[in-house]
Amino acid sequence: MAGIWVFAEDLEQTRELLGAGTELAGKLGTKLAAFAGDGELARQYIVFGADEVFLLPPLAQDQPLEAYVPVLFEAARQEDPDVFLFAATPRCKEIAARLSVKLNTGLCSGCTGIELGGGEQLLGMERMAYGGAAIQRVQCTMRPQMATVPPRTFEPSVAQEGRQGKITELKTSPHSEVKVIGRSPRQRGSVNLAEAKIIVCVGRGVGKPEDIQLARDLAEVLGGEVGCSRPVAEELNWLPEELYLGISGKKVKPELYIGLGVSGQIQHVTGIRDSKVIFAVNQDENAPIFEAADYGIVGDLYQVVPKLIEELKSALKG
Amino acid sequence: MLKTIACFKWVIDEADIKVDAATRKLILDRVGYKINSYDRNAIEEAVRLQEQHGGAVAALTLTQPTAKACLKDALSRGPDSVYFVNDSAFTGLAPLQTATLLAAAIKTGIEYDLIICGEGSSDLYSQQVGPALAEILEIPCITYVNKLSYSDGQIVADRKLDDGIETVSVKLPALVIILPDINSPRIPTLKQVLGAAKKPVHNLAIDALGPVCQPCLQTNEILAATMDRKRVKFAADAEGIRSAVGALLRDGVIS
Repeated sequence: MAGIWVFAEDLEQTRELLGAGTELAGKLGTKLAAFAGDGELARQYIVFGADEVFLLPPLAQDQPLEAYVPVLFEAARQEDPDVFLFAATPRCKEIAARLSVKLNTGLCSGCTGIELGGGEQLLGMERMAYGGAAIQRVQCTMRPQMATVPPRTFEPSVAQEGRQGKITELKTSPHSEVKVIGRSPRQRGSVNLAEAKIIVCVGRGVGKPEDIQLARDLAEVLGGEVGCSRPVAEELNWLPEELYLGISGKKVKPELYIGLGVSGQIQHVTGIRDSKVIFAVNQDENAPIFEAADYGIVGDLYQVVPKLIEELKSALKG
Repeated sequence: MLKTIACFKWVIDEADIKVDAATRKLILDRVGYKINSYDRNAIEEAVRLQEQHGGAVAALTLTQPTAKACLKDALSRGPDSVYFVNDSAFTGLAPLQTATLLAAAIKTGIEYDLIICGEGSSDLYSQQVGPALAEILEIPCITYVNKLSYSDGQIVADRKLDDGIETVSVKLPALVIILPDINSPRIPTLKQVLGAAKKPVHNLAIDALGPVCQPCLQTNEILAATMDRKRVKFAADAEGIRSAVGALLRDGVIS
């Protein structure tokens, strides 16, 4: 069957793609299909909106997820889907890029919006360009129209108990020349920046790792969490990588974002642009963060932040 | 002898982009260009492997004929030679077009065991060209690598993924796409900058590659992203800080 296909690594991502896909399938008058690694997930995907679920053959211990490229290619070649959406995870981004070559079609990377334009059943897709400074609108002129979609772009679909659908086993063998020889799962921290209402963000303007305490103190007064910019996590290794905000890191939507010594590179600003209020403290009055901020204080954060904490303590006492 | 190709893109320096406020169009006629920062890591990694294992490093770029400044810039970072695939038609290419042309350039006879690409390009950041190039060349690829080693015709790499590190191995030839935290690109020395002028530049024109294929992905427009912010500044003294806290209270974002 033709239709809207979605491929992701877990239930949460699949639900978001099914959420986007349900609307598209309705408008295009076609079906919605997902891919699952086991029968239990397949039944859940049907409850969450899939009309059909393709059951993937199991992977050998030494096969990476990308070994599914030939499996997906064979399925798409036979069924000719209209649209193929992928979660924009590292693995799925590779799979989608390679598949677009095999299917000789276009792929919109990091798709942040989809609308149906005109009567041609062509999707108008939006994505970020120049680190988020611009929006690029693209259209895929071949079939299937493909896109990778970042997490939390679309609302997850809701369960409809008792929903029926078809489960189809895929028979193609997975294959990869790349062999997995070891896995070390990430130690998950307890912080969930995506859900945080207030985030205090540490930038390079913070001189020493000890001074991150200043940000923690501020976050504590406000009941918020501490995040950072990419260099603080990746170059300086002062904070874990799961705490960096930006186009390639966490995208957040807090009520209040406070940047301390954050210069405001566009890649960082893109990760925080959905914040309700942006507040910046930076020594450099020309720092780009002030252009992206609602409120700014030009000053030495070692002078400003302790005063700010005191002021907040007395203001929030009642 | 490890022969490595490091791919790089000559990109607009996004800090130079101005916006026409009325139309939201990007004003690009006065922008500077630079080697895409992620590709500096790719060149550095190729040079690092050469220092350890010998062999040769060729840099490869696909760009406009006017982009000659990229050649010395790339060569000063360590590669032995550079392949300059250039044509005035090479503008606004979709990722698959770029990958197809790069593959055609490599197939004209650039020898390699390993191809290294950066995480993405800082301009459009589609992250497709690396994996697509591998697919067209029919060689395996390893993406999101932050640790890389080579021995006996084989690469072992750590991939940084959402759920942790996956260590993989592959026999060469292969293509590896690296993350910026894999290394810190060195600043070229004066000797390297001067030496770059003496290194070979191989020009590849479009007639050696065959025609540019039709784009499967069509760009309809690129407009500046707008963000409405109040941009109010407060003084750094006690009174200014009090006013700032007052503003946050009025907005209802702290309580």
